[in-house]
Amino acid sequence: MTLKDVLDAQHPPAEFDLSHEELVQFFWKYRGLSKRWERANAFWEATNANLKTAYEKLDEKDRELEHAYNVIQEDLEVASRIQSALLPVASTEMTRDLEIAVYHRQLAEVGGDYFDYFKMSGGQHAIGVFDISGHGVSAALVMTYLKARFMGLMDTTDSPKTIVDAVNDSSFAFLKSVKKYATVNFVVFEQDLIRYVCGGGFGMLLHGDQELHFEKKDHFLGLRNKPFHEHTLPFVEGDLLALYTDGIPEGQNNAMEDYSIHRINALIRQHADKPVAEIVDLCLDDYSRFRAKDTDDITLAILRKKKP
Amino acid sequence: MNSHHEETLEIFGALLDGFAKACLNLNIVAGRQASELTQSIEMLQWYPYQRLRDLENTVFTSYSNSGPILEKVGVQMMWAWYHFGPGQQILKDGVDFLHFQSSSNGYASVVKGPQSEVGDFKLMELDPQRGTALIHSTTPFNKDLERGVIIGGMEAPGDLDYVDVVHEGDGYFQIEFH
Repeated sequence: MTLKDVLDAQHPPAEFDLSHEELVQFFWKYRGLSKRWERANAFWEATNANLKTAYEKLDEKDRELEHAYNVIQEDLEVASRIQSALLPVASTEMTRDLEIAVYHRQLAEVGGDYFDYFKMSGGQHAIGVFDISGHGVSAALVMTYLKARFMGLMDTTDSPKTIVDAVNDSSFAFLKSVKKYATVNFVVFEQDLIRYVCGGGFGMLLHGDQELHFEKKDHFLGLRNKPFHEHTLPFVEGDLLALYTDGIPEGQNNAMEDYSIHRINALIRQHADKPVAEIVDLCLDDYSRFRAKDTDDITLAILRKKKP
Repeated sequence: MNSHHEETLEIFGALLDGFAKACLNLNIVAGRQASELTQSIEMLQWYPYQRLRDLENTVFTSYSNSGPILEKVGVQMMWAWYHFGPGQQILKDGVDFLHFQSSSNGYASVVKGPQSEVGDFKLMELDPQRGTALIHSTTPFNKDLERGVIIGGMEAPGDLDYVDVVHEGDGYFQIEFH
């Protein structure tokens, strides 16, 4: 039996006879393997030590990340409370004339949907519903900017067109620089009618049996530095006004079908005789059952003209 | 301590590429570091020697004990050179590597510059019967890497059962082989 036969065998042979030369070769093979093992061991010990250090660094980074995340979350919670505090409460005077229900929910802690109540220089009540492009913190910051702009102009006019034009004109450069724009529904309530400006928002009015829709030919705030157009619609006792942003009509189900403005308008029409708060709840209930998941901020305001 | 003025030296792209690929194949560096390692190395181009130092530093900064790592890189480089490069055509056996490396086609073909800075790789003694050799290296290469190159170059042909290389200081490598 040669050394090669011995080393190639599956099991050690019962007995074998190696020459001195073969024994020497065997010796050096064994030493060679030991030496390779020694080098491999040193390599793996060095890499293990490196792995240990890497894990420690990873742990440290994980802790830093967790801390940073907690700081951001705390900030967002504060921002959310601030944004909620900026939302309006209808005055007694306004609720004397109008039955009002509003559902408003941001997709994240803060967002770009915004609504507000106003009192014009002539004493008329007004409501504005806006949708700032994007979501989150950037949209929320633009919301506070626009709120300040609108509030600053309330005492100066009773024309929705004048106000919206003025806000657009004074905000245009800023909105362009931050690459933001906002849809706008601005409605002023007069004796028996509403005057409104609609730039990208959704609005539907039930005047008796008639379903009337807002003219939607205008642009958005911050998109064009051009005047808006003012329109009027009748609005008498018992009439219903619905204003909403695109969060509901553009919500999709699992088959990627849109909820659609037709569906929400039909639902409002179907339940037009109910209290406005109930109509809002029914719309949201239907929407929640339809949509696959929430992907946008949502605002839905429904108002009914009360008996004088 | 490196006494070479390395800013006057240049290193062959094929060697840089061999080092980078050995690091990648051994998973010594990964991710973004790995991509940066292999970016834009042309095999037939000459690069400032600092480029090799930059590659070595990725190992030094990642490993507290870099000796065994660089040695392994050297072994891997020569294994790849032998099995996927011209090594098989050049070497007839393991001992032949010592002749090759100390010739003008070996070390001298991958580093250029002023001779005083390039240094050389001299086979001082060789006793095939006893299985010993003595190399004196005055190259600017890291000595752990160079030890790995010698081990890898001698083991690659597969005829030697045992190879050990010890750096005894001042660039003297005591080699034992059987």
